[in-house]
Amino acid sequence: MIRAAETVVPGQRVSITIDGRPVQARAGHTVLRAARDAGIDIPTLCDHPALPPTGACRVCMVEIERQRALQPSCTFPVTEGLVIRTDTPRVLAARRFAVEMLLSERPHYCMTCPVSGGEHTSDCELQRVAYRLGMDRWAYPPDTSLRWPVDATRPHMVMDHGRCILCRRCVRACSTLVANHTLAVHFRGARSTIGADDQVPFGESTCVNCGTCMQVCPTGAIIDRHSAFRGHEADVQRTRTVCMACGVGCPIDTVTRHNRLLRVEGVWDGSTDGVLCELGRFDVLEDHGPRLSRPLVRDAGGLREATWDEALARAADGLRGAGPGAAGGLITARSTNQSLLAFTRFFREALHSDRVALLSGATPPLDLGAAADMADVARADCVAIINGDPARTHKVLAYLARRACDRGARLVVASADPTGLDDFADLVVRLQREAGPRADPHDALRFTYHVRPDRLAEVRGAIERAAQPVVIHGPGLDKELLAALRSLPARTRFLPLVDQANAVGAGRLGLEAAPVAADALYVMASDEDVDDRPPPAAGFLVVQSSYRTPWADAADVALPSKAWFEKQGDITSFAGHRLRLTRPVDAPGDILPDWVTLFMLSVRLGRPLSCVNVSDDANPSLGG
Amino acid sequence: MPEKPTIASDWLAGCAGCHMSLLDLDERLLAIVGLATLTATPITDLKHPAESGVDVGILEGAVNNTANEAVARTMRRRCRILVALGDCAVFGGVPTMCNAAGCAAALRRAYIETESTVAGQIPADPDIAVIGPCRAVDQIVDVDVYVPGCPPSADAIFHVLTELAEGRLPRLAGRLLDWH
Repeated sequence: MIRAAETVVPGQRVSITIDGRPVQARAGHTVLRAARDAGIDIPTLCDHPALPPTGACRVCMVEIERQRALQPSCTFPVTEGLVIRTDTPRVLAARRFAVEMLLSERPHYCMTCPVSGGEHTSDCELQRVAYRLGMDRWAYPPDTSLRWPVDATRPHMVMDHGRCILCRRCVRACSTLVANHTLAVHFRGARSTIGADDQVPFGESTCVNCGTCMQVCPTGAIIDRHSAFRGHEADVQRTRTVCMACGVGCPIDTVTRHNRLLRVEGVWDGSTDGVLCELGRFDVLEDHGPRLSRPLVRDAGGLREATWDEALARAADGLRGAGPGAAGGLITARSTNQSLLAFTRFFREALHSDRVALLSGATPPLDLGAAADMADVARADCVAIINGDPARTHKVLAYLARRACDRGARLVVASADPTGLDDFADLVVRLQREAGPRADPHDALRFTYHVRPDRLAEVRGAIERAAQPVVIHGPGLDKELLAALRSLPARTRFLPLVDQANAVGAGRLGLEAAPVAADALYVMASDEDVDDRPPPAAGFLVVQSSYRTPWADAADVALPSKAWFEKQGDITSFAGHRLRLTRPVDAPGDILPDWVTLFMLSVRLGRPLSCVNVSDDANPSLGG
Repeated sequence: MPEKPTIASDWLAGCAGCHMSLLDLDERLLAIVGLATLTATPITDLKHPAESGVDVGILEGAVNNTANEAVARTMRRRCRILVALGDCAVFGGVPTMCNAAGCAAALRRAYIETESTVAGQIPADPDIAVIGPCRAVDQIVDVDVYVPGCPPSADAIFHVLTELAEGRLPRLAGRLLDWH
């Protein structure tokens, strides 16, 4: 083999033989990949497309000529002239023995496991391999007197060690995908178990609850409290859409059943390699309180349910009553580009008002230089964070920054407050915070940030020395800081830390967060969380909201709104890409797309919005 | 015409669900009765297999006390072919979950600590069975045919019984092999 290895040129075409068939493969690919590319199925358990192979489970063993022992196909590299057999009695016996041993190590109570099923319904890769091998009994009964622990100390996931096969997918995901390095195999031999940090409960560990380990787990060892027992893969639908939890815009697969959102999963070949964070995978499924599913109007006795006709008439009267140009609008930067455009046009065309602003969030300048991609972050040799804490607000970005650090990139953190990345940074610089002219405690632009010139020079020097630097910058930087960033070498790539999913799309439309003083105010809050802020004061208040929030309760007219998982349209990620939102579930009852509401209001104001194609729910010009 | 093969069944530490699945054969029970003679089962008047023996013995449930062990050994002695029916008989199943706690703790929990129990005591009559570690049937006696499932489907049971009646030793595969 040494002789052959010396002649390997990675990527070169080589001729090999698998099960007597001549097969063309690429040198350096694994035997498993070569076989799969040739349509030859080798069962596996520890192998996963997003993870580096490790050869832990021994299920994929194959016979290779001139190799003394059977070899794991998932780690054996292809070289010219290899002769491989995947189906000899020796291979089948070894495969069977490997699965028999895996089943003997833990009790594997399939009848109580959420992923267990039949030949076509099982979501357990171990069970499917066992079925395939015709296993109808224990070859070696597991020792059921051993009590394998169940760790339920985390908020979203439960780890049942009794179902673990030590494939180390979770360990590899935690270290190579998320760069968090929480999980490892603890103890040795038959006592080996997956553990966190220095053998502490998962809930007390450095685990960031991103759930990537759960998504790669081949058995029911790591289960989702929210979606367990709510449907097998065969029962659910999947919809590819975009996470709205922050500005990163991770591609996601939403898993739904009976028009309910069960689970959110990462997309392995997506821009973030399938990594999601706690905000995007779990928090979005939390109960946000009762939905606002019908229009409400205020009478002497308070808010009462009303028809759309009545509510829209009241809203139109109130907005018109403010007088020409006197009505104002606030819209969430979680809206689609289509809704943002329709909202601004509604104010311009139907109310002759340009008093339209974002509900919240401060968007940093979008013109500092070339925009970075997530891939740029992962392969950067210097990542500089200037004001902000992605580990708190843009977690997947922080994971990719740490991945770059694992590969040797320098990490620079310049921030007013300690950040979750300080411990991994090569250089930490504290920014000074100064109160700006705007005093509203909920205004993200109430502070400006500056830094001592000598410290700025250090930051600058670190970025300038790099060949592929990425600068991640937050809002509120003072003139000197901005000038320094603008003068960085042209190879520098930039990512703005924006608060809401479509803040960049809103910024491109010229919208920014600002106080809007108006006699009549229309707030399109949708599903933005506004509970920590008092409702805006206005003589007449229309609130369009997905949930029955205190803001809806304070409104004169409250209109229902779709939540993100019910919307169609597109948003613009912080990297500047337009990403398509596809709704995984239908909105309940009487909820209309944003553009329909705006169009019907404009008709009642006597100035119907132009360019409305009412035949399409996902209106290309106005969205919804 | 050769005599029809005879079948007897019994249950051990189980929930009777596998026998319910046997009844799920519905009208196909008539086909089974046409192929074989059901002699003694827990759900017929005759409870115990004849001393003269049967062709096929079927056991549901795991073995977790001396009585179950005696029933399993008796069935093994009196049948030519022994079928382990269901996850408990095949793998040990849910009853083996008490092994991790231990017999003493299980008895204490069941007879003394149960929330509704007042002044309970653990039965200790010399005439009753003694609890022991819970095991699959083939850890006590040899088993010839394994029919896992919780419970095995009526289709799997029908397949096994018809194969046995026609003189073949079945082994489940594909759709019929379903433990969950």
